[in-house]
Amino acid sequence: MNMKKLTAMLCLGAIVAIAGQSVIAAEKKAAPKAETANKVAAEPAAKSSENSGDKAAAESAIAAAESARKKAASIDGEWRDTGKMIKKAQAALKAGDSAKAIKLAKKAENQAKLGYEQAQAQQELKMPSYLKY
Amino acid sequence: MKNLPGKLLLLSVVSVIAVTAQAAQYETDKEAFENHFKGRFPDVVREEFANGVYAIDPIGRESWEAIEEFPPYELFVDDGKEMWDAPFANGKTYKDCFPDGPGIAHKYPHWDKEQGMVMTLPLALNQCRESQGEKPLKYKKGSINNILSYIAFESRGQVTDVVIPEDDPRALEAYENGKKFYYTKRGQLNFSCANCHVQNAGMKIRSDMLSTALGQTTHFPVYRSKWGTVGTLHRRFTGCNSQARAKPFKAQGEEYRNLEYFLTYMSNGLTLNGPGARK
Ligand code: HEC
Repeated sequence: MNMKKLTAMLCLGAIVAIAGQSVIAAEKKAAPKAETANKVAAEPAAKSSENSGDKAAAESAIAAAESARKKAASIDGEWRDTGKMIKKAQAALKAGDSAKAIKLAKKAENQAKLGYEQAQAQQELKMPSYLKY
Repeated sequence: MKNLPGKLLLLSVVSVIAVTAQAAQYETDKEAFENHFKGRFPDVVREEFANGVYAIDPIGRESWEAIEEFPPYELFVDDGKEMWDAPFANGKTYKDCFPDGPGIAHKYPHWDKEQGMVMTLPLALNQCRESQGEKPLKYKKGSINNILSYIAFESRGQVTDVVIPEDDPRALEAYENGKKFYYTKRGQLNFSCANCHVQNAGMKIRSDMLSTALGQTTHFPVYRSKWGTVGTLHRRFTGCNSQARAKPFKAQGEEYRNLEYFLTYMSNGLTLNGPGARK
């Protein structure tokens, strides 16, 4: 086989692979949306009655998560997704889904606390035992 | 009592030794580090570690050698040369900031006593640009990689030689901070850099074999097939922190510069061979 043909085949292969991946990604993204839509449709009445209490609870959950995140960051212990979760919680709150906002904020706060503890536990450097001095 | 002068002499000899030993903690670190890899990969000659994972992955090496026949970073080197030669708006060039250039990669990172910080090549390039009235370049992606590629290419054959000067305790502190960073477990996966690149070097993580920390800094910037372009060392740090699900730090911020100082010191004596090509 000559070089040009090989390159062409490789390129084609890559394109097919990329296209395949993005289809999978699109499917993955689409699935949870449909689920949430169903849930919202199934229980709209129950939500609105306790909405204002939920909203305040969500706001304070988000505030708690944010301050825990900052505390973790102050000793370089913040995890990758904590800030993203808080942003998502804020978006959920804005969209009126307080329950979802609370769930995300709690998860973020938990991560932030673990990240803080993780960094705190390693304030003193201990060289690992697999290195022989 | 007759022997007092002799005792004093002995005492001062002992204290000199003690001081010297203390100052050379980083040398002991390096020895332990090198011995670890020597023990793990007894058949790999030291200089080979500059080839990253391909020093220890014979299968990956096959395709790497084929790729190096038509190096994917070549165009970036050419573009970098143009950047190096092109005058700034004020008529000056990079050469005015770096009279020894372009083959200067082996001088970085170094301790900058005046500014009290670790100076890296990308940071020095941007300080040059700003001193000439130019906008700084971004530190992870984009054209900084062109000029870095050119400088790396022109620096091939120079030897990694990071100095931790003894006349400024802040330099040792920066080294120690970089070391601390390297061995600190981070992120949701609770991994330190060392967990992957020291303890588990040679093991596979998904389809990737983990490279040894020794030799990781010789070839940056690097063309990565996954990126489809050339990227900086700090971009790579960012990716590795994210991989362990820790929040990455700022490229060219203090954490990563100190990390680079430590990590590059560990590769002292290895020949520069950038830009590199990696999976
Ligand atoms: C979960 C495992 C893991 C952790 C933790 C990790 N890395 Fe990596 N790293 C990888 C993998 C996988 C690669 C790609 C294969 C290779 O070259 O090792 C890589 C590549 C690299 C490279 C590029 C090597 C080359 O030859 O181009 C550098 C530099 C690097 N890592 C530094 C670090 C630093 C610094 C840390 C800590 C901040 C770190 N890594 C943490 C898995 C990890």
